[in-house]
Amino acid sequence: MKLLNKANLAPFLERLRPEFEVVAPLYEGQDILFGDLDSSQLATDFIGKPRLSPKEYLFPQRERLFTFNVCPESIEIEAHFNETKRVIWGVRPCDLYGLKFLDLVYLKDYIDPYYQARRANTLLLGLNCNEAEESCFCSSLRTGPFAKEAFDLLFTDLGDVFLVEIGSRAGEKLIEKGANLFNLATSKEREKAKLLEEKSKKTFKTSIDLGKIKAKIAAASDNPVWAEEAVKCILCGGCNWVCPTCQCFNVEDIKAGHKTQRIRYWDSCQLGGFTQMAAYNSRAAQAERLRQRIYHKFSYNPDKYGGEIGCTGCGRCTDVCPAGINIAYILRRVANE
Amino acid sequence: MKKVLTTCEFCGCGCNFYLGVEGGEIVAVYPSFSHPISQGRLCIKGWQGHEYIHSPERLIAPLIRKGNRFREASWNEAYQLIVDKFNQTRTRYGNDSVAVLSSAKCTNEENYLIQKFARACLGTNNVDHCARLCHASTVIGLATTFGSGAMTNSINEIEGADVILIIGSNTTEQHPLIGDRVLRAITKGAKVIVADPRQTQVAKLSSLYLMHKPGSDVALLNGMMNVIIAEGLEDKEFIAERTEGFEELKKTVASYTPERSAEITGVPEESIIEAARIYAGSKKSIIVYSMGITQHTTGVDNVMSCANLAMLTGNVGGEFNGVDPLRGQNNVQGACDMGALPNVFPGYQAVTDEKMRNKFEKAWGVRGLGVNLPSQSGLTVVEMLDSALEGKVKAMYIMGENPMVSDPDLNHVEEALKTLDFLVVQDIFLTETAFLADVVLPGVSFAEKDGTFTSTERRIQRIRKAINPLGDSKPDWKIVSELSSRLGYPMDYKSPREIMDEIARLTPIYGGISYQRLENFGLQWPCPTPAHPGTPFLHKGSFSRGLGKFSPASYKTPAELPDVDYPFILTTGRISFHFHTGTMTRKDWALDREYPKGYAEVNSEDAKELGLRNGQTAKVISRRGEISLPIRSTEAIRKGVVFIPFHFAEAAANKLTAANLDPVAKIPEYKVCAVRLELAL
Amino acid sequence: MNKNIYTPDLAIITKVCDEAAGIKTFTLEFQEPEIQKSFDYRPGQFVELTILGVGEAPISITSSPVNKGYLELSVAAVGKVTQALHLKKEGEVVGLRGPYGNGFPLNEVKGKNTLFVGGGIGLAPLRSLINQIFAQRGDFAKISILYGARNPALLCFMNDLERWTKIENSEVLLTVDVPDAKWKDNVGVVGSLLPKIDIDIENTVAFVCGPPIMIHFVILDLLRMGFGENKIITTMERRMECGLGKCGHCNIGKSYVCLDGPVFSFQQLRELGES
Repeated sequence: MKLLNKANLAPFLERLRPEFEVVAPLYEGQDILFGDLDSSQLATDFIGKPRLSPKEYLFPQRERLFTFNVCPESIEIEAHFNETKRVIWGVRPCDLYGLKFLDLVYLKDYIDPYYQARRANTLLLGLNCNEAEESCFCSSLRTGPFAKEAFDLLFTDLGDVFLVEIGSRAGEKLIEKGANLFNLATSKEREKAKLLEEKSKKTFKTSIDLGKIKAKIAAASDNPVWAEEAVKCILCGGCNWVCPTCQCFNVEDIKAGHKTQRIRYWDSCQLGGFTQMAAYNSRAAQAERLRQRIYHKFSYNPDKYGGEIGCTGCGRCTDVCPAGINIAYILRRVANE
Repeated sequence: MKKVLTTCEFCGCGCNFYLGVEGGEIVAVYPSFSHPISQGRLCIKGWQGHEYIHSPERLIAPLIRKGNRFREASWNEAYQLIVDKFNQTRTRYGNDSVAVLSSAKCTNEENYLIQKFARACLGTNNVDHCARLCHASTVIGLATTFGSGAMTNSINEIEGADVILIIGSNTTEQHPLIGDRVLRAITKGAKVIVADPRQTQVAKLSSLYLMHKPGSDVALLNGMMNVIIAEGLEDKEFIAERTEGFEELKKTVASYTPERSAEITGVPEESIIEAARIYAGSKKSIIVYSMGITQHTTGVDNVMSCANLAMLTGNVGGEFNGVDPLRGQNNVQGACDMGALPNVFPGYQAVTDEKMRNKFEKAWGVRGLGVNLPSQSGLTVVEMLDSALEGKVKAMYIMGENPMVSDPDLNHVEEALKTLDFLVVQDIFLTETAFLADVVLPGVSFAEKDGTFTSTERRIQRIRKAINPLGDSKPDWKIVSELSSRLGYPMDYKSPREIMDEIARLTPIYGGISYQRLENFGLQWPCPTPAHPGTPFLHKGSFSRGLGKFSPASYKTPAELPDVDYPFILTTGRISFHFHTGTMTRKDWALDREYPKGYAEVNSEDAKELGLRNGQTAKVISRRGEISLPIRSTEAIRKGVVFIPFHFAEAAANKLTAANLDPVAKIPEYKVCAVRLELAL
Repeated sequence: MNKNIYTPDLAIITKVCDEAAGIKTFTLEFQEPEIQKSFDYRPGQFVELTILGVGEAPISITSSPVNKGYLELSVAAVGKVTQALHLKKEGEVVGLRGPYGNGFPLNEVKGKNTLFVGGGIGLAPLRSLINQIFAQRGDFAKISILYGARNPALLCFMNDLERWTKIENSEVLLTVDVPDAKWKDNVGVVGSLLPKIDIDIENTVAFVCGPPIMIHFVILDLLRMGFGENKIITTMERRMECGLGKCGHCNIGKSYVCLDGPVFSFQQLRELGES
């Protein structure tokens, strides 16, 4: 393990710039969003996570897959991969878990080459959370507040210095680039980090009982909570747009002249059109769609991916809802609390 | 990726988000979490509604009509043709033979320029825009009662109200972030009363729902006021100190007993009484209203009755109480503020007022050109079209409006537009109206220009250019300037910033506005000086006109009632996924996929009696036209009422509506006309 | 393995014929002979068809693997892509991705009787299986085919049906809901044909495919007749886009219809909560 003075974080990231596109939480006006390091101020003095997860660096909101070029003699298909080498710093444990989960979705069975190209060229530098935000419940899902895996480097804020754990050979190579900026960590710092983790776990205002939910969810299809909460939903899709593990997309072909672009966009299972077919809609009621979102994360995906929960406990879906629909509240109702 | 902070182009909530730009294209949206209104939340249009910007159907070059088709032309050629035609027309038929339609979607700067163009260059007050079709009643009704016609509260105050009376507003679907505040108020214990002939989403979430007959609002409101006075619940102190005309009001509402109101409105007596008691029981009661109140031949009466109710209980002029008309378009408030109206200059300063005309003549330098600004009020939207048919208006310049789908009685509209000698349409797509034009000029979307929008809570906010204009299109302010210059009235602005500086000099409520001051999420007018912080709520201490004026109204029936031949009431309206004439939203996959086609909402009992099944295609016929579309059978609409959203040009609800206007506001009665339904074979 | 899973291969329409009212059958050959040769599929699988400039849609394959060198797709014009397809002529180029889906269980029904119940264009995927079985006739026992449509103009694959009638130890019964003047056969829903056949239910596997309402009632009838839940095989219809379990649209329970289906036994459907 290494130590990095906080003052050396920016210089370290600058050292990576020639070889990598460096992404970090930045101040955009008064908002904190992930962005390319060369455009704005680096935000390190905030409690909490950027408002959208960094999943869009691997699975963009709008991604051109390929272009059909239709000429009289031939039709060519040109695929567009993004193989830019990238480092994302400041990835909170919930988002690290989210990306680990998306790796399961996109890199298993049929391998998604677009996600694969981006993933193969992206390094994740995590940042543990010393304090939970209002709607965070990662501790209940054991996806946080401190990460245990799925990072190349992991930073813990000890005050004026970061403790840096190495999670991969690629991460180690990054440290080599920063060479003289890093010191060796001692057991004192490791102890401090452990204490901070315990302290962090006590700051959670939201929690759920995962065991109870797992036990009760199979029988909760008819729980009145689905209809009760769904009646408020305005179908904005926000819960899906900000979610670190939401994976669904829609594909459109857009023709302009003799070129047609096939573009994929984030899609939302909360929209009625998501399951609309020519003759009927297999999830016509909003209550069914709300249930689908929760079940997909807490029942279906775990069944499909060997028990991995499809939710990171980041609480962003609750924060972004204009109708105040609260995922922890729904889960507590499912667990019959 | 570049992130550009801008204001949403759809509804009047005025949310802010960042457009993510890569490779000259908009590829992402990020809500602004520190914005006071959106607070990180957006509706589906905000999140996913911008794909139309890159649609291959965007107009990217001027078009000139050639028989039944269009050919691309250079800007020079297009401008020259317009200049020649406008000059010919004005010389032969006078200045008022040209009429201008401005756009509630365009910026304040653009609205300011186009009314300046109409007045200083073309010499006519024939300038209007679609506010005529939605909140003209508000502008007049609230100006009469309070002295100024705008939402009195800020959106965030709604969360702190104890009672919210929502009448004629489908708030969660049409103003989602205001609906958000209503829901938050409910979690804090607020009582919400909803009056609407349709049981909308917010009606389902309300504490008390009144399913009243379309057009019976005056009777309902007068009934509530009758109860309040009868039970001594009125605010005597407020009435004495801050209002005039109470005795008149008392006399008028005396005959609207709960029994009589119940008979007219179809709402049970007990509900009217309960609503009155709840509303009067708090000093933090807010009235929220929208099209259900304004789009009637009694629109002004409806608005004034809302104002009367608020003044009666002392529920206006404070934080957390007031009267809130929800403006629909992103900049309809601004378009009105900028004077894109036939009777006022920017800032609601009357054109008939000689002092005002002198002020603007001086500021606009027309004296030097030997011109006086026109002194008579001009024509309103529907009047312009009637005037075209009468042969008085010969040419029109329409910017960012689609009357071929949005105006009432579309067959009539088509006839009128086709009568014109010359029609210029400026838009981003070849709309149904542009299709009839002689010259089409390609403007740009909100993402391709700088400017400001004014939201429903009077918040003036920046839009910022994120990508370059597509193809050969130009920002609308540039087009108006260039056209004006070629027509003899030079306009030479380097940027919209400069235009706003001019606006601030001439418009008292915008007096303290500059682009620099707008950087921190804008300012709410009135903002009269550069040091003024803006105004969260209106009429504190005194009304804009001094004392609030009670303006009692008597119930009048809607212009066209159902009868034996046309036994149903047609009420038109909107859904959350599409916006107005669908020009933009029907090109967004996420929005269009939800509602690719129009439909008619029919009460399930009515449907059964008519032998119509859910999903079956029906013909809906009125005295003015007919359309065919599938029906949706539901219990959530009053028996005898049919609802059709007007977004779908191929099943245009406005083929059926009538141009019955409020006599003062000239707003059409979109909410009531008579139709019959038949099975379409 | 290196091939981009999302890009289609190009195929030429070599034949278009009117199958029934509003339904056309297209014969397609991949442009690249190598791809055509190596395109291995099972009855019940589907392809993702691209109409250039319009979009992509999942269509089940109606030809059988025994038909070498080409594919057949039978399609009703119900959406953007299928409507565009109906305007295409011989010689025009489309895109194909696939095959996707799990396909019908073939080996598992060897030696057994098979009962096919099809409605309207639902016969298309069944036809693929039926022709495959007829090609290996000796491996299978009695074959019963019950087929119906709303009216005679909507009956598909009449050539195949006539051929199948003539094959040994097979029977074909037809029906329509609304007959025309020339109709001589049964009148009624396809489920009304069930009492007219004589089969050994214990040793029979039933395959049902058609409009959802029809499937629903036929399955009820079959259960009442004594068919076991795992002996009733049907196809599940869901909005599908990627065809390979990524876009999420066809998710039901822990399954994706495009990966674990579209062929499911009734028992599996019940376990997914879809009955």
